[in-house]
Amino acid sequence: MNPSLPAQHTKSLQLYWILQAAGWGFYTLSRIIGAATILRLPWGKSALELAIFGGVGLAISHWLRGFVWRHQWTALSIPKLAARIVVAGFIVGIPLGILTQISDVSALQDPGPELQEYGPALSTGMTVTIQTLLQIANWAVLYMIWLAIYFVAVGLREHRTVRLKQSELARALHLAELRLLKSQLNPHFLFNALNTVRSLIADDPSRAQSAVTRLANTLRYSLSSRQDELVTFAQELDIVTDYLELESMRFEDRLRIERDVPADAASVSIPVMLLQTLVENAIKHGIAELPSGGLLRISAVLENEMLNVEIENPRPPAPSLVSGEGVGLRNARDRLRLLFGTRATLDLDLSKPAVATVRLRIPQQR
Amino acid sequence: MKAMIIDDEPPARRELRRLLADFPWVEIIGEAGNVEQAAGMVESLTPDLLFLDIQMPGGSGFDLLTRLEHVPAVIFTTAHDEHAIRAFEVDALDYLLKPIDPARLAEALTRVKGAHAERTPSPDDVLEQIFVRDGDRCWFVPLREVRLLSSEGNYIRLSWGEAQPMLGRALAALERRLDPNRFFRANRRQIINLDFIENVELGVNGRLHAQLRNGPEIEISRRQARLFKIKMSI
Repeated sequence: MNPSLPAQHTKSLQLYWILQAAGWGFYTLSRIIGAATILRLPWGKSALELAIFGGVGLAISHWLRGFVWRHQWTALSIPKLAARIVVAGFIVGIPLGILTQISDVSALQDPGPELQEYGPALSTGMTVTIQTLLQIANWAVLYMIWLAIYFVAVGLREHRTVRLKQSELARALHLAELRLLKSQLNPHFLFNALNTVRSLIADDPSRAQSAVTRLANTLRYSLSSRQDELVTFAQELDIVTDYLELESMRFEDRLRIERDVPADAASVSIPVMLLQTLVENAIKHGIAELPSGGLLRISAVLENEMLNVEIENPRPPAPSLVSGEGVGLRNARDRLRLLFGTRATLDLDLSKPAVATVRLRIPQQR
Repeated sequence: MKAMIIDDEPPARRELRRLLADFPWVEIIGEAGNVEQAAGMVESLTPDLLFLDIQMPGGSGFDLLTRLEHVPAVIFTTAHDEHAIRAFEVDALDYLLKPIDPARLAEALTRVKGAHAERTPSPDDVLEQIFVRDGDRCWFVPLREVRLLSSEGNYIRLSWGEAQPMLGRALAALERRLDPNRFFRANRRQIINLDFIENVELGVNGRLHAQLRNGPEIEISRRQARLFKIKMSI
């Protein structure tokens, strides 16, 4: 699924061997040094024997790793896993303990001359059985610790992968949500515009040409809006101008437009197709519903690093036509929330009797 | 044939006018840009055919039809209205998609011409068909196919085949426009289509019970029963 997974796998396998070598190496080395300095055992023999035991220990731990993988111990609950670790520690520890006792690596069997004063107590105070049990416990505890470290490491790695996947998933979801909320050009507008063009070809060919260019611009912008999330207010305003030109060819004197956007406001980044959606709504629920049309006003102002946009249009008095808020406005608001959190707001004001005002506030990005 | 164009967009009206220039037998007697204006013009000019846009300011093309007393032949024109197209699919109303394909227009006009020639002239003021809109569905209901009209509050429920569409008018107002040879007021709430009566039984207190084909049994009130007997010469 994820192409980086094999690489990740090799990397974690490498880490495993480094940790294995370091752990067993350090353990064996410390025992050899301990045997030579504290117990004053002869260097060569004890070093060789301890090294063999270290190697055997490592090999057994590696086999254990395969065993727990095959039996999927990672899927177990913590109490069950702990119980199994203890049992496994003893199962591996018993033969190794006995083996150690039999071999003469055990320093306690043959203390050096410096340990003679403890010697009688050490060697005579303990029976062979107790010595064997101590050896078994020593190995058992060693493997329990090894398994505990192993499962903690595996657990940590798993946790990180899950977290990584979760955040990737959240990001993908976020993007999909944004894409879905982004409005596309209304097909009703498209076909009406084409009809206008058809009419203009006979009435006024040069206006028909300009209409085709504007329609192409609007379409291109709408299609490419699938890639970009943010555009400058100026870019969006350009396309809104093209769109409004087309609509005023359709509505003729029913649609009048007024714009007031200062240069500083024009450079602020806004979500693509957002202003377009709001203007489209103003036409659809306002101008188009009124037999005599009206004035559509777009104004913007940049204040304290906040872009304030206002779109005002006359609306029919019957509230049934604008009952509640449409999908367009709700989607626009959801998009703003996904992109800016609570810093951006969008409000529809219907308090004035025959006017609808949409107010948009977007923080200026640094 | 007298036709009217009803569309809120001037370029769309001009375009349709231009397309109709190829059909000299279609005479455009008027244009309207909204429902209000159109309703008055249709009543006074009595066109035979309407080219009707659906989305218009102050009410849709459907709203216009439900307001009209006499509904002429209608060809809907729409740019892209999934809602409306769905409505058409349940009935044989003709519609044209904008921009209008001239060949498709010719086809629709041929159909209208055929229907117009076929129509037997009926006495004035008698309704032949009625436009009904019920939720998403629209019908031109031929009244002779309606078994029963029942008053339900301010509405009339039509029993027409399997459908039971509602009409936003008062029963008394509609009664005046119905063919008296076909429809009979059975009681305060119901008007029945005489063609659908299967049999009539005598009831108590001089009432009658009329059994309708594929429909319920309707009680004819005492007062109306007398009229019924005279009418049917029982």
